[in-house]
Amino acid sequence: MEILRIEGLTKVFGSGRLEVRALQDINLSVSKGELVALLGPSGSGKTTLLLCISLILEPTAGKVVFDGQTIFQKDGWEGGADMRRLRREKVGFIFQSHNLIPFLTARQNVLLPLSLIGIKGKEAETRVKELLEYMEIADRADYLPALLSGGEQQRVSIARALANNARLILADEPTAALDTGRGTKVMDMLKRIARENQSAVIVVTHDERMIEGFDHVYHLKDGCLERNVMPESVNE
Amino acid sequence: MHLAFYDLKQHRGRFIATVFGVGLLFTIVQAMNGLYRGNIYEGLALINATNPDLWVVERYRGGPFNEQSTVSGFYHYSVKAIPGVEKASPFIYYTVERPVADKSRHFSIIGYDVFGGLGGPQKIFAGRNIEHAHYEMVAHPKLGVHVGDRVPLGLHAYTVVGLTKEAISSDGEALVYLSLPDAQEVLYQRDNEEIRNQRERLLRTLSSQSYLSPNQADKLLAPLQSDTHIINAILVRLKPGADRAEIARLIDKWLYLSAYSTEDELQLMLKGRLASMAKQLLLFRTLLLIISVVIVSLVVYTFTMEKIRSIAVMKLIGAPDRVIIRMVMEQSLLLTIGAFLFGLMLIQNTYQLFPRTILLVSGDTLFTFIIAFAGGILASILGLWHALKTQPAMALGG
Ligand SMILES: Nc1ncnc2c1ncn2[C@@H]1O[C@H](COP(=O)(O)OP(=O)(O)O)[C@@H](O)[C@H]1O
Ligand SMILES: [Mg+2]
Repeated sequence: MEILRIEGLTKVFGSGRLEVRALQDINLSVSKGELVALLGPSGSGKTTLLLCISLILEPTAGKVVFDGQTIFQKDGWEGGADMRRLRREKVGFIFQSHNLIPFLTARQNVLLPLSLIGIKGKEAETRVKELLEYMEIADRADYLPALLSGGEQQRVSIARALANNARLILADEPTAALDTGRGTKVMDMLKRIARENQSAVIVVTHDERMIEGFDHVYHLKDGCLERNVMPESVNE
Repeated sequence: MHLAFYDLKQHRGRFIATVFGVGLLFTIVQAMNGLYRGNIYEGLALINATNPDLWVVERYRGGPFNEQSTVSGFYHYSVKAIPGVEKASPFIYYTVERPVADKSRHFSIIGYDVFGGLGGPQKIFAGRNIEHAHYEMVAHPKLGVHVGDRVPLGLHAYTVVGLTKEAISSDGEALVYLSLPDAQEVLYQRDNEEIRNQRERLLRTLSSQSYLSPNQADKLLAPLQSDTHIINAILVRLKPGADRAEIARLIDKWLYLSAYSTEDELQLMLKGRLASMAKQLLLFRTLLLIISVVIVSLVVYTFTMEKIRSIAVMKLIGAPDRVIIRMVMEQSLLLTIGAFLFGLMLIQNTYQLFPRTILLVSGDTLFTFIIAFAGGILASILGLWHALKTQPAMALGG
């Protein structure tokens, strides 16, 4: 089942001599439970793509269909999808670092998206506990982020991204700030989510070693998406 | 979730310091509220306690408290003669600075007809009322005297025969009751040198008049001495059923004096002496409240700026604006209300220590709280403005 479809997505920053074409005519389709890797050098438009998908940035042209609903279309579209609402109900975000609210404990950070969608009390507590256990971080539940290691912080971030049972998880270089061992562990968690939770997961990375086991790998280069011919070794 | 609370918990030190500082401002605001009420209470206490049917004073004067009024002593006989008047008593009131028990004291003296006249103390809580024509006094304990003490005023010493707390002078100082002639003496007596000098001057003026023989001039000297039988007001009690307005009109028309009801006297004080003080205090309180709002506003602004990235993250994960507005506004209100409560606690435990009477009225406290609450909302605007224009994309930057 298709969760996300992007057609002809283009994003231009600035105008005239300062114009930057960050994304050029991107087409992409992601289905339930699919693991997608987005590779590309720095400045190739990876972050911009994630921001356009979640409509944090408004695309310059193109069409975005999410969970069967057209959430953006440049021409002849009268829509006004409440993207904040879609994000808190159906999308989970993980980014490179500073994901967590520093004045909330790990438990409270995971509780936040639940309280935003009106899940409270015992139900919320139980869900937070499950998620922290699932991410193997339950023993750190009452720590403030500053007292957690980078890897632990990222696992709490993943728990938070999962809290709303997200249909789509967008992760922007979630392992960039981690050493290889911890990075691999975080990546394994994301893979597990796609398999067990049936969420679609799009992971931006520039580390080729991390993409083992992904369903699709795309390369972004100067704002253009190239469908990767999956290296045999990766598919095995 | 109590986001505002969790964030403040992280910044306990700054929170407490702000609550303490702004709380002191609120203490002053509430002290001024109390000072205002206390001033009004004190300013009106003597008028309220005396409460005659009419106050007769020098014409066109708002006396005897709000303005100086001088009336010849014998006029009270004329007032007494008006039909409908049951009693008309001479009354004198003035403020002095005299040494009492080795300390210079500022207080007011009331002279009244101690044999059944109006204007004397009603309730004596220690000792008795004045019963003799001379050398007895009833005082407010604020003067620092006890029953049986002898207080020298001018040429004589006066025995404290009773204490009363009923009234206080209109500027909040102690009140001393004397018999009318005693009070006039304390007010007008001059030292012998001064009396001799004045007689000399007068005699010289008279002697230079060619139509007066030296003998005649000497005879004129005594009646021309300045009159000390002067009072400030005549207190009137009317017969039952007498028409107060009509009697006031008669006094005005035939005696060339002004007559006011006690209500008029209260209004004269409120609109006169007390009004400018009220305006002054209102101005100070307004300034202090503005300062409080500015301080809270800046503190909330720094709190908001420090968590601008968290705000971006919240927006990114889909928090609606109202969650963010609530967080910023709650912080502002926690600071303001915390400061208000601290100020309230402080003033309630210290108001007795102020030199002037602080009268705390719950209506004033409530009103100040409402203003503070509105100020707290106002103070969050600067922080809110920044929080709301924060782009969610900022969460990913840097
Ligand atoms: N807000 C912006 N204004 C102007 N240019 C931007 C903005 N954000 C990104 N860009 C430009 O768009 C291009 C892609 O950026 P980005 O998506 O952050 O790349 P990546 O995440 O792959 O490193 C870069 O050239 C960057 O300079
Ligand atoms: Mg990037």
